[in-house]
Parts: sequence; C-alpha cells; structure tokens
Amino acid sequence: MNLIRKWSSWATFLARLILGGTLLAAGYLKIGNSYNAQTSVRVYKLLPVGAANFLGLTLPWVEVALGLFLIVGIWVRKVAVGSGVLMAIFVFAIGQAWARKLPINCGCFGNGGVTADGKVHALTYLTEIMRDIGLVLISYYLYRFPHGKLGLDKAPVIEKAQGE
Amino acid sequence: MSSKGPKVSKSKNSGGDKGLRNLVVGMLIFVLVVSAALVITKKKSITAASTPSSVTSADGWGIVFNKTAKPQIDIWEDFQCPVCQRFEAVNSDYINGIIRAGKAKVVFHPMSFIGNESLAAANAAACANDQGKFLEMHTLLYQNQSATENSGKITTDFLTQIGKVAGITNTSYDECVVKGKYVMWTKNIEGDASGKNINSTPTVFVNGKELDRKTQYMDAAAFKKALADAGVK
Repeated sequence: MNLIRKWSSWATFLARLILGGTLLAAGYLKIGNSYNAQTSVRVYKLLPVGAANFLGLTLPWVEVALGLFLIVGIWVRKVAVGSGVLMAIFVFAIGQAWARKLPINCGCFGNGGVTADGKVHALTYLTEIMRDIGLVLISYYLYRFPHGKLGLDKAPVIEKAQGE
Repeated sequence: MSSKGPKVSKSKNSGGDKGLRNLVVGMLIFVLVVSAALVITKKKSITAASTPSSVTSADGWGIVFNKTAKPQIDIWEDFQCPVCQRFEAVNSDYINGIIRAGKAKVVFHPMSFIGNESLAAANAAACANDQGKFLEMHTLLYQNQSATENSGKITTDFLTQIGKVAGITNTSYDECVVKGKYVMWTKNIEGDASGKNINSTPTVFVNGKELDRKTQYMDAAAFKKALADAGVK
C-alpha cells in the first residue's frame, strides 16, 4: 500500500508537469503572436468575430496561468478541473470543425485538415483530438489524486479507515 | 465536488508553508494580470506607423490601385503561402491587366502570419510600392518563393537583389528594406484582417463579398467570370 502511494504521488507530479507544461507552452507561443492566436480561434467558426478575437487574446493568458499553477502545484484540484473542461471544449471544437470540413491549424492555410482542393485529411483532426483527450484523462487523474511530490499545496493528512 | 478517494482532512499545522504559498499565488496572479492587461490594451492599430504611399485605414491599410474605380477587389495573401503562389500563377496576368487598364480598384493586403520572412517580404513589397514597382515585386516574390517556410532565403540581401530585378534603381528602396520601414504597418494589416474574419490566404473579396474558395480561386475562367459578373468589363 505504501509503495502504491509513493508511486502515485510521483505520478501526480509527472501529470502536473505534462498537463502544465503543455498549457504553458501553448499559451506562451500564442502570446508571442496574438494575431495568429486570434485566427486560431476564428477558424473553428463557433463564435462571432469580435468574441473569437477577444478569446484569442485572452485565452493564452488563461492557459499560461493554469500551466504555471499546475507546475508549481497550487490549487491543483481546481486547476485540473478547469484544464479538463478547457480540453474537453477543444475536443468538441475540433470535432465539429472536422464534421464541417473546416481547415484548422493556421500554420499555412489550406493545410490544416483540408487542402486547397477540398480533400479532408482525417489524421490531422484525429491526432489533435487524441492529444486533447489524453490531456482530459490526465486532468481527471489530477482531480482524483491532486496531492503529489514537489507541490505547494499542503498534503492532507490521510485518515486511515478502521482495520486498514 | 465530492471525492471518491481516501477520506482527507486539511492539515491543521500549516503555518510557514501557507505564507510561502500565498506569496507565490499572489505574485503569479499579479504578474499575469498586469502583463495580460498591458498586452491586450496595446492591441489597437498603430497610428504612428509609417505607411506606404496609397495606403489608408479606410481600405484596411492595403496597397491600393485605381482608387476611384469600381468594382473593388481585395486580396489578402502571404508571400510565403504556397496556395497564394498558385493563385498568383493562375490569375496574376489577368489581375495585372485589370489594374493597368483601370477596370477595377484592386487592394492588396500582404499578411505576415507565416513568420518573419513574410514580414520582411511584405515590408519590401511596400518599399517597392513607393517606387511604383509593387506589381513587379509581387510577381518576383512569388516566383522566388522558398519551398519551405522561413527557410532563411528571404534576407535583406535577397530582397534588395530582386528589387534590382524589378527595375528599382533608387537606393531609398534598399534603405527601406534594411530598416524595415513598414514593419509596423504590417501589424495594422494583420489587425484589420482579424476584424474582417480573414482566416486563410489567399482570400479574395469582390465588393466586400468573399469569392467561393472551392470553385472560383484556382480556375482562371471561373475567376474571370466572377469578376465579370461584378462589373469588370
């Protein structure tokens, strides 16, 4: 039992680094180029232009905040819920873009899932969706086991059940 | 939130750690909020930016040909975008002909979302515009497009070289390229495109309405017909 607990707290630390690192990197890269960040929200065609542009400007900061909090280990459980919800929204957004054959990924346009001749490349959407589902699962793990190694959250005292 | 994990209770003796924790939380939030506020409020169009000749905010900061002609054709493009290169190959003779004959107002919006080399190319195109050689530069930039984005091909040397090929003899062009005179202007183009929901390049508007990307962009006859329907004789 002690062994499992020991490994689980390291797993929590690792999960925080993966989820937090991904969020931090994603947000940081977009802050460096806010027009591209705005475009990357607009391409999903879910929001009016003004709202999408506003979200494109603000969302990277939210991602950076979530990422930093996870890495440092503050409010891990709440932040994990927030990150999980965010990733679930991304899964939905990518899924509907796939269904509507909307090109995503503004590296070069006409390349992110749909090429200029209208061909749909399922793999582009699928890899993004799989990645985000993976991150949802990691968020859920952190929701269940938020207390791990090297975090600033105070570890709880575990009350042993009778007879354990 | 209900926990299914082991029953837990908050630690009672958390004095020193709590202080450190609150300090870190406070600093993180403070730094994030301040930098976010700074970056977000800065996002207005830059009125102090030098603008190339013929450019006004009313036309989305684009390079304008035949200011008073009708109809109006707006083209958003990125000099590093391969699809734009194909669009140029298919339609540029026709578009340049329209411009020279004064049959339509044509506005070019060179974007720079692919990266720094797009920015350098857009700046150089604007510099060439000041010398009356925008269209020549436009063609040359696509003819000499690199197979990979931001490959290091588009340098100031490269841009001054093809400036000479375009027929520019004035040294103020070279200076404009080296100094990046219109770099801030390219930001205004990006900002305007954001507001107009331009999500991909090339994007072509005729009288403010987008052409059909699937059928009217890469087919010279269909493109001509779309413009003819809009009143280009």
